[in-house]
Amino acid sequence: MKAAVDNPDAGRYGSGHAVRRIEDPALVQGRGRYTDDLAPAGQVFVRFVRSTQAHGRLVAIETAAALAVPGVLAVYTGADLEAAGVQPLPPARGFKRPDGQPMSTPPRRALALDRVRHVGEPVAAVVAVTREAARAAADRVVIDIEALSAVSDALSAVAAGAVEVWPGAPGNVLAEAQAGDAAAVAAAFAGAAHRVALDLVNQRLAPSTMEPRSVLAWVEGGRLNLSLSSQMPTNVRAGLAATLPGQNLESVRVRVGDVGGGFGMKSVLYPEDVFVAWAALQLQRPVKWQAERLEDFLSAAHGRDLLSHAEMALDARGRVLALRVRSLANVGALPTGSGVVIQLLIGPWVSTSVYDIPAIDIKVSAVLSHTAATGAYRGAGRPEAIYTIERLMDAAARELGIDGAELRRRNFIPPAQMPYRNAMGQTYDCGQFERLLDQGLALADWPGFEARCAASLARGLLRGRGIATFLEWTGGNALEEQVQVRISADGHVELTSATMAMGQGIATSYAQLAVDVFGVAIDRIRILQGDTDRANGFGSAGSRSLFTGGAAVRVAAQNAVAEGRELAAQALEAAVVDIEYRHGRYEVAGTDLGIDLFELARRQPGRAILAEGGAKAAAPSWPNACHLCEVEVDPATGAVQIVAYASVNDIGRIVSPDIVRGQIEGGALQGIGQALCERVVYDADGQLASASYMDYALPRADLFRDFKTVFDESVPCLTNSLGAKGVGELGTIGATPAVVNAVVDALARGGLGREAEKLQMPLTAETVWRGLRRDFGPGLKLPD
Amino acid sequence: MPTLDFTLNGRPVSVVAEAATLLVDLLRGPLALTGTHVGCDTAQCGACTVLLDGQAVKSCSVLAVQAQGAAVTTVEGLAGPDGTLHPVQEAFIACHGLQCGFCTPGMLITATCLLRSRQQPSDAEIAHALEGNLCRCTGYVNIVAAVRQAAAALSEAQA
Repeated sequence: MKAAVDNPDAGRYGSGHAVRRIEDPALVQGRGRYTDDLAPAGQVFVRFVRSTQAHGRLVAIETAAALAVPGVLAVYTGADLEAAGVQPLPPARGFKRPDGQPMSTPPRRALALDRVRHVGEPVAAVVAVTREAARAAADRVVIDIEALSAVSDALSAVAAGAVEVWPGAPGNVLAEAQAGDAAAVAAAFAGAAHRVALDLVNQRLAPSTMEPRSVLAWVEGGRLNLSLSSQMPTNVRAGLAATLPGQNLESVRVRVGDVGGGFGMKSVLYPEDVFVAWAALQLQRPVKWQAERLEDFLSAAHGRDLLSHAEMALDARGRVLALRVRSLANVGALPTGSGVVIQLLIGPWVSTSVYDIPAIDIKVSAVLSHTAATGAYRGAGRPEAIYTIERLMDAAARELGIDGAELRRRNFIPPAQMPYRNAMGQTYDCGQFERLLDQGLALADWPGFEARCAASLARGLLRGRGIATFLEWTGGNALEEQVQVRISADGHVELTSATMAMGQGIATSYAQLAVDVFGVAIDRIRILQGDTDRANGFGSAGSRSLFTGGAAVRVAAQNAVAEGRELAAQALEAAVVDIEYRHGRYEVAGTDLGIDLFELARRQPGRAILAEGGAKAAAPSWPNACHLCEVEVDPATGAVQIVAYASVNDIGRIVSPDIVRGQIEGGALQGIGQALCERVVYDADGQLASASYMDYALPRADLFRDFKTVFDESVPCLTNSLGAKGVGELGTIGATPAVVNAVVDALARGGLGREAEKLQMPLTAETVWRGLRRDFGPGLKLPD
Repeated sequence: MPTLDFTLNGRPVSVVAEAATLLVDLLRGPLALTGTHVGCDTAQCGACTVLLDGQAVKSCSVLAVQAQGAAVTTVEGLAGPDGTLHPVQEAFIACHGLQCGFCTPGMLITATCLLRSRQQPSDAEIAHALEGNLCRCTGYVNIVAAVRQAAAALSEAQA
C-alpha cells in the first residue's frame, strides 16, 4: 500500500488520460452483479399474463387451473391489487388539453382493471417456486377479453370518429403545447423569398438495453427492499412509496447493481416493479421477475414516434427568418410523465438548434393510441427536433441552390452573441459552431466529394453526403449533486453518489476526478452508487452525471483533503497552514515530518476520515457537434452502404478520452439504426409485429464501424466548475439526420431532385428501392 | 431426472437436470455461473454464448443434456488458473471493448472460438463472426479492435 501511495506517478490516471476502466476486470470475467444474478434463498418467480388485445373489456379471469399447478403460490389480478389498496402509478401531469382543461390520463395500474389498452399490458400475475412452474401456470390462466376496436398510430387516433382510448382525452388528444410567436412567423413567411416544407416521420423505436428489465424484492428488517436494473433508484423508491399501501420513503430501500444498459428506458418505475414489490410484501418471500425480451418489446418504454409538418422561411440570401412546426406525438395508451414532457417541452427547446432563427411557431399534440407508452430513449426529444431542422436545412439548400454547409454557415449563432437566448427561451452559454463546421468539412474532405461521387457512379452506385450541425440540451434541469467521501484505513477512498452507472463508465470518470485531487493511484478509489439508504438524488439521465455529479466529486474530494489537513496538523503537532498535501501524504512544509493519508485515517475514531461536498451547475450544458456522412446507394437493390462518417464534437473539457469516444461512436450507431433499419411496427389492430430481434433490426457488427471522431476541447462549458458538457446522447442525435441527409442527397443527385425529400425512415433497401421508383407510400397529411 | 457428467471450465461436474432444462439455465441456476447472460428469447443476441467442445454455441438453444460428456467453457473459465486474464479479456479492457458489459461474455466466447480457427482474421471476418452477438452500447468499433488486438497477442505468444 505504501508503495502505491508514494508512487510519484500515482496521479497519472487523473482526468484527461485514457485509462483502463475500473468496471472492466469484473465484467470480463463474468463477475458482474446484474439483478438476475442475485439468487437469495427461497426466491420465487413471477410470470405475467398479458393482454393479447390492443383494446378490450376484461370480462373474466379464471385462475383455478393455474393455482392447481404444483409449485404455484398465488395468482393475482387487478382486482386483488385494487382490494389491497395498491394505487395506480404516478400520472403524467403538467400540460393542458386543447380546450384548456388540465390533461387527464388513464390510470396506469400494476395489473389492468376492467379494461385493457395495449397488447402486452399485464393483466394477471403468477408467483411460483420455479420459473418453469410460473410459466406453466401462466399458460393456464384464462383471460376473457371482449375485444373493442383500436387505434395504433397518431393519425388514426385523431381521425374523425376514431375510438377513444380514454374519455378524459377527447379526440384522443391528451395534451397540447404551443410556443413561439405565431403572428410574427406568419408575417415572416408572407414576406419570405423562399419557403420549404417537409412531412417527417420520426418512427417509434425500441431502446433495447441488452439486459432486459429485472427486479427482485424482499422484506428485510421489516423494510421493503428492492434490487433492480434502474438509472433512477430514488425515483423508484418514491414511486413505490406512493403506490404501495403502508409504505413510505423510509420503509423502502432500493439498490442497484450492474445495469446492462439504460438509454433512458430504465429511468422510470414500471407497473411490473410495483407488482413484484407488492407480492414480496404479501408473500414475505424474495420475489423476482426477469423480463423476457418479448416483454420488453411489449411493455418497456418505446422512444420517438413523432409525425411532423415542418416549414422554414428564408430570405433571398439564405438567412432563416422563421420556423413553423406542427407535430403529433403518439405517447401510447397509458402515457408516462417523461413520454409527454419529452415531446411537448424538451424537444421544442432545441428546435432552432445552432441557428440564429428569430421566430418560431411550434405546436405539438400528445396523442393517445392503443400502444405501449413512450418514454425516454437516448436523446429524448432532441433527436426529433434536430432531425426536423437538419432535414429542413438541406431542403432549403436545394431550394436556394447552394451547398448545405454554406447555408448552415450563414445561419450559425456567432460566438459574439453568446450567451444566446433562443426563440424558445433557452440560453446557450457557449459554442463555436462555425469552427466545428470547418473542422468537420476538413475531416470529411468535403471538397473532394465530387471526385468520390464520380468514382462511385463509375461503379454504378449513387453517392450522397449529409451533414448535421447541431446542439442539444443536457442535465435534465436537475443540476445539483452531493457526494460523500470516506477515506478508510484499509487504503481506499470511497465516494458515494446518487447518480447511477449503467455502462457509461461513470465510476471510472469519477475515479479519475478523485485522483486529480487525492493524487493516489486510481485503484485506491472506489465509487459506490445505487443504494437509496446511502444517497438520493435525481439519478442518471439526460447526460447529466459528469457535469453535476463529477463536479460534486471534485468538491467533496477537496473537502476531504482539507479535513485531513486539519487532522494531520493535530497528528504532526504543526499549524494547519504549514501542512502540505501531495500524492496521498501530508507533510509539514520544509521538514521531513509527514503522515500518509491512510495512516492518518487509521488514527481517527472509526478508522476513517469522512467528508462530503456538493456542486450545482448554474444552467444546462449545450454540447454541440458537426457530423458528416457519405453513403453509396445501389440503385438495383436500394441497399444503402455508409462509406464514411466523420464528426467533430464539442463536449467541453474531457475527463476520460476513451469513454467519450465510445459514447459518441456507440451512440452514433444507435442513430444510424434509426436512420437505416429500426422500427417498432404495430399493425392497424394494435398487434405488435416487431416483437423480437428477428423482426426488429438492431444494428449488428457488420453495419458500420469506421468512425472518424474528433473532439474540440477549446470551448469549456461555463455553467459548471469542470467545464464539461454532457456526452451521452450527442452521437445518437447527430447520426440520424447526417445519414438520412446523405441518402436523400444520393437520390436527389441520382435524378429525383427535390422529390427525394419524401423519403421516410428507416431507409431500408426496400424503402430506398421504392423511392428510386418514386413510390413514397401514402404520405402524411397532418390535420390542420 | 438424468444425471449429467461433463467438464465445466476444466473441472468435472456431476449434476442432476430435467430433460427439458436448457444449458443456460443449468449454468446460471444450479451451477451458479451467472457470467453467461440471457438477453433475448429467440437465439439472436448471443449473450449466452459458451464453448461446447470448443465450438461457440448459444446456450439458450442447447439442452443441458447435450453437454453430457462434453467440455463446456463459460466466461468464468477463460482466465488462467492463476487468474491471469485470457488475451481476449485483456484486449477488451485495453481497447474499451465493453460498456455495460452485458453482451461481453458472449462476445468474449465468440471471439475466442474465432481465434482458435483463424489466427489473423480481417476486420470483416471478425465482424462477420460477431454477427450473432448483439451489442447496444459500443457500436462494435472497439469490440472488433479488441479481437484484432487479441489475435496479435495470441500469435505473438505462439511465435
